[in-house]
Amino acid sequence: MSDATSKPVIQVKDLYKYYSIGENRVKALNGVDFTINKGEFCSIVGTSGSGKSTLLNMLAGLEKPTKGQIIISGHHIERMSENKLVKFRREHVGFIFQSFNLLPTMNAVENVALPLSFRGIPKKVRLAKASKMLSMVGLKKQQFHKPTQMSGGQQQRVGVARALVVQPDIIFADEPTGNLDSNTSAEVMELMKKIVREQNLTLVMVTHDNHLASFADRIFHIKDGKLLKIEENNREETKNENEEI
Amino acid sequence: MSFLDLLSMSASNLWRRKLRTCLTILGVIIGTASIVVMLSLGFGLKKSYMSEIENSGELTTINVYSGGNNYYYDEDGQTSNTDNEITDEVIEQFSQLEHVDFVSPILSCNIIFRQGVYRNDSYVTAMTTEAMVKKKLELASGTIPTSDEEIRFIFGNSSVQDFYNYKTNSYPYWDTGELPEIDFEGDFFVIYDTEAFYNSEYGTDSDTPVKPPKKYITGNNCLVAGDVEAYNSFSYGVYTNIDALKKQLKKVFKNKAIPGQPTTKSGKPYSYWVYEQAYVQVDDFNYVSEVQKQISEMGFQANSNAEYVESTQKQFNTIQMALGGIGSVALFVAAISIANTMMMSIYERTKEIGIIKVLGCSLGNIRSLFLIEAAFIGFIGGFLGLILSYGLSYILNTFLGGALGNAMDMGGGGSSGISYIPLWLSALALVFAVLVGIIAGFLPAMRAMRLSPLSAIKTE
Ligand SMILES: Nc1ncnc2c1ncn2[C@@H]1O[C@H](COP(=O)(O)OP(=O)(O)O)[C@@H](O)[C@H]1O
Ligand SMILES: [Mg+2]
Repeated sequence: MSDATSKPVIQVKDLYKYYSIGENRVKALNGVDFTINKGEFCSIVGTSGSGKSTLLNMLAGLEKPTKGQIIISGHHIERMSENKLVKFRREHVGFIFQSFNLLPTMNAVENVALPLSFRGIPKKVRLAKASKMLSMVGLKKQQFHKPTQMSGGQQQRVGVARALVVQPDIIFADEPTGNLDSNTSAEVMELMKKIVREQNLTLVMVTHDNHLASFADRIFHIKDGKLLKIEENNREETKNENEEI
Repeated sequence: MSFLDLLSMSASNLWRRKLRTCLTILGVIIGTASIVVMLSLGFGLKKSYMSEIENSGELTTINVYSGGNNYYYDEDGQTSNTDNEITDEVIEQFSQLEHVDFVSPILSCNIIFRQGVYRNDSYVTAMTTEAMVKKKLELASGTIPTSDEEIRFIFGNSSVQDFYNYKTNSYPYWDTGELPEIDFEGDFFVIYDTEAFYNSEYGTDSDTPVKPPKKYITGNNCLVAGDVEAYNSFSYGVYTNIDALKKQLKKVFKNKAIPGQPTTKSGKPYSYWVYEQAYVQVDDFNYVSEVQKQISEMGFQANSNAEYVESTQKQFNTIQMALGGIGSVALFVAAISIANTMMMSIYERTKEIGIIKVLGCSLGNIRSLFLIEAAFIGFIGGFLGLILSYGLSYILNTFLGGALGNAMDMGGGGSSGISYIPLWLSALALVFAVLVGIIAGFLPAMRAMRLSPLSAIKTE
């Protein structure tokens, strides 16, 4: 779908990541190049241990590459100090975790408001924003529930709201439906896709499930740390499914 | 993150593990209280010692005597040998010194008092009215004699012991334990020329009898407050106003030499008074040594309690340091327990720390979160520890203070107990407890800050 006019948000050049375990060397990523444009929904798919998470973590600045360049919104993040990376994430990145990772002591609205507090936004403002976000993901009624009082699907909706509330340039999601059953998975996928479309956000999602991967505009197939192929998804189908444009 | 957010997040994290937090705080409470109470014992000791000396008015007094170092340098650089007499001029010089409150010359002479069959061969000390007031002279009745009135005398509350029955040749107090009946407010026969009196009474080497000296009648005398056994600095002896005494002595001896006053080679009296002693009252105890040194340098012998008191204070300081040291062991243990608690909570919250790091919480904020938690423990522990300290101090003072005070014979009415917590000590203790918390929390906080955000990603 990449239009000639859309700007690249993520550029990955010749990316390597080696892990040393004792004398063994694990080549988790072995030379990867690609570009992702603004407003794209990309999925990274591959078998377990193929290097998907490693790639995503490096894109989000959670790990340092062994070699290569990662340029996000014009910033070379492979050269950043940890302090700068945190600031970078705070300003540009939203993250959706496989195991939801809501703070157990906080209720839904407080969890969603948490990233805003790191930006120094006053309590009133951030709670109002969070509450609005929760209505958007359909959890208006459950906004004062603690994570333990919600189902997996509901928790992940809170997770999605938390990633979206900071209005990030890019959202990263590592197996966001990995802990959900297939029906709930589809629901959450639809929700993510809808919001990404509406707000013209960039979403990079990791999954081992080919079906879930097919929700995306482009599918990156990865194997043994190498990019096998980039598959352009059928645009018409996407259109019909979402009934938009 | 705003400071308020940091505070509330830290507080809620502490609140989450109430029991553990309470136990850690308990350690700080005991630590703070043990230091504060230990130090308060030292302060109490010092305070009651100082107030005892202060009550006697002797803490800031320098006693100056003539003599001492007789050699001093003249203005023209020559050494000269003078007698360094304490004259009115010298008294004036002393009072010009910095930090000197007032100076009183002291004039002493032998005077015999008689009432009925009782006689007191006494050595009267005369000083200014101001000196008597400042030295906290309290009378049983009447007023302190002033310069403007006829001479009157003040009898020490123990001076009744010195009255002697010259008919039976005995001291009633010492021989029979009975107090002679003397009306101190009534009239006394007063004999100033004691030499002439003794010569007339007991005869001289030559056989020519000596005419008894003139007796003067003095009324309106007074007595120092307190019973015979009670001690204060005016208990023994007889006192009077120095100007009144000088006037009286001039009247009695006319142109003859006054006993005790130096004379010229030809036996003529000087035209001025020479005192053998002077009181120099300093306004603050801290300047006593300094003033004393200046007076010594002027060629006089100067004595004060300063050295003794200072060395006693140093001793007290040493005792206090030792007590504080013992107390601080408990706080040190509390600090270790804070560090331990913080470490535990970091291990528990590894994942949570990872999550907030992924969500963009800055490293500084993470460090602050943990430092504030540790500081909270220190603050709450310190605060409750202070309350406990005041309670313990109160208990010590009410139940132990009296007994100990009596045992150590710390007179002064026991106004200050054995434990005293100055306000600044409370403030310092609180700051110190918070600091201990922060220091103990520093390493754990650094550790939390360095935790990898990847710990959030790893599933179980
Ligand atoms: N921290 C690590 N230390 C050592 N090896 C690692 C580490 N993280 C991942 N690997 C290895 O790198 C490879 C890719 O891992 P990962 O990216 O997690 O795979 P995926 O997410 O596709 O299942 C695997 O062989 C894994 O064992
Ligand atoms: Mg993975």
